[in-house]
Amino acid sequence: MEETIMSQGQARIEPGRRARKEHKRKPLWRKYIWGYLFLVPAIAIFIVFLWVPIFKGIFYSFFHIDFVKGNTFVGLDNYVNVLSNPDLLLSVRNTLYFMLLTLVIGFWVPIAASIAISELKLFQGFARIAAYLPFVVPGVVLYGMWRWMYDPVGPVNALFGFFGAEPVSFISDSRFSMVSLVVMETWQQFGSAMLIYLAGVLSIPKDWYEAAEIDGAGVWARIKYITLPSMRNLIVLMLILQLIGTSQAYQSQLAMLDGGPNKATLTYALLTVKYAFNQLDYGAGTAMGILMFLVLSLLGILQFKMNREEY
Amino acid sequence: MKERGILSASDLRKPWNKAVYGFMVLCIAVMTFTMLYPIGMTMFNGLKSNQEINTFPPRFFPSEWHWENFPKGWAYIDLPMFLKNTLLIFGGNLLVTILVLGMAAFSISRIRVPYHRAIYFFILMTLFIPASSYMIPNFVNLKELGLLNSYWAFWLPAGANAYFFLLIKNFFDGIHPEIFEAARIDGASEMSSFLRIAIPLSVPIFATLAIFTFSTAWNDWFWPSLVMQTQDKYTLATAIYKYVINARSLDSSVKFSILFMVMVPPIFVFLAFQKFIMRSVSLSAVKG
Repeated sequence: MEETIMSQGQARIEPGRRARKEHKRKPLWRKYIWGYLFLVPAIAIFIVFLWVPIFKGIFYSFFHIDFVKGNTFVGLDNYVNVLSNPDLLLSVRNTLYFMLLTLVIGFWVPIAASIAISELKLFQGFARIAAYLPFVVPGVVLYGMWRWMYDPVGPVNALFGFFGAEPVSFISDSRFSMVSLVVMETWQQFGSAMLIYLAGVLSIPKDWYEAAEIDGAGVWARIKYITLPSMRNLIVLMLILQLIGTSQAYQSQLAMLDGGPNKATLTYALLTVKYAFNQLDYGAGTAMGILMFLVLSLLGILQFKMNREEY
Repeated sequence: MKERGILSASDLRKPWNKAVYGFMVLCIAVMTFTMLYPIGMTMFNGLKSNQEINTFPPRFFPSEWHWENFPKGWAYIDLPMFLKNTLLIFGGNLLVTILVLGMAAFSISRIRVPYHRAIYFFILMTLFIPASSYMIPNFVNLKELGLLNSYWAFWLPAGANAYFFLLIKNFFDGIHPEIFEAARIDGASEMSSFLRIAIPLSVPIFATLAIFTFSTAWNDWFWPSLVMQTQDKYTLATAIYKYVINARSLDSSVKFSILFMVMVPPIFVFLAFQKFIMRSVSLSAVKG
């Protein structure tokens, strides 16, 4: 038995050895020329469509951009303009408020749901599909759908009315508009985070729970001391990803409310977009992008460190 | 015996645990309902009369079925043209991704040219620069290159995706090297071992990329609305945003029928490939 395996192994190694010899005879430079030729398109595209815009961004932030008359150097004017705009502080505050709300309303939901769904005995597959389904709903459909959900005569108000509450105009009342957007985004996005957590929950060895139970740990103690600590790295990674994502949010704020009512949903990224594409002041928009980069690169470094630990 | 989870069979015999478990199941049921209700509402609102949609309190099922809303919605804007544009962008993006990033990943992973680590970091560094910080210079750059209002403004930058590069490269790393050695003995050039061995073996990872690319092409409405400046080039999502979501005089019933039609293809793709997609979701955890 052992012999046959040995001889098979040798038979498999044999052509490999010959190949390596062959390989040495073939000139390396020919192989490397192909290797570099394969890299040329990717390097060219990365330079032209990523590195050039990134570096031009620094350059443009000191210029007044005019597509017709050409760009003129304006020094720090763009930065002065942006920083003296009273909306800037408001937009930073709105962004922080949005980030806080997504943490309070949205962050714990997928963690709790993944633990709960992992314990389902029946319909587990169905619950997973149902939770993920909103994630495949296109953004534009989401906006149309939820404008109606939040309508004064829409389903959410019908539900509230059933409990005897007065009708609320969720998105056009500046007290509720941001919260409403966060609920909408949580509805759409928690399913994909839930699946990621679920993979983590299901990979925890079951005998750990067995051992803990024999030692007298209750259900809550098992979750607190086994499940959650095992997911710790994943949770921190997802937290950083979420902070990076939400700090740059503008699409639903733009599509649902255009930053209103009364600038209550004007986020930092939305202000950037408005500078560039409403006022056509690309220089100021770029300057805001640079300022944002300085703040976010801190988070990026954190994520990089986490990724290294995780994988 | 069935494998246990956090709970064991004996836990569930205690009344307190039973009650909490029952409450948890109830919460999941409510969640499932909340997830499905807006989707079903969109479908059934597309089948109601306009008056019925606006009556309070809303009913879930239509009292009369107005199938004519769908042909009306189909004719309201030129959906086939926008669909064609979206699919053109999807197809071109996928092709460029596979060819450009596939070749680069093959070179880094299999040929291992001198300085491949430096090139690898040159590509991966872009992952750590937040996209919104260079969005505007990116637009100005495309404008200066004269690419606005052209499909090339989507196809070419599709090759500049470090995350997709990483996925392909990791996949190539996992292919057994002896396959390529054998091909080399048989006289295969680097090009033919890429085209005839690496690409056919990598169908699973390309399928994952196809799903990611499809969802971007189908969902992205803001960037195409900036880059594409004439109506005949708009993608489906951009057209829906401009002509349906922001329409003032459009009947709600017809609006919902259009929204439903736009929502069906991605849901169908998801249900058809759900096992596969659910597995690739965990890949997106590393996405920056």
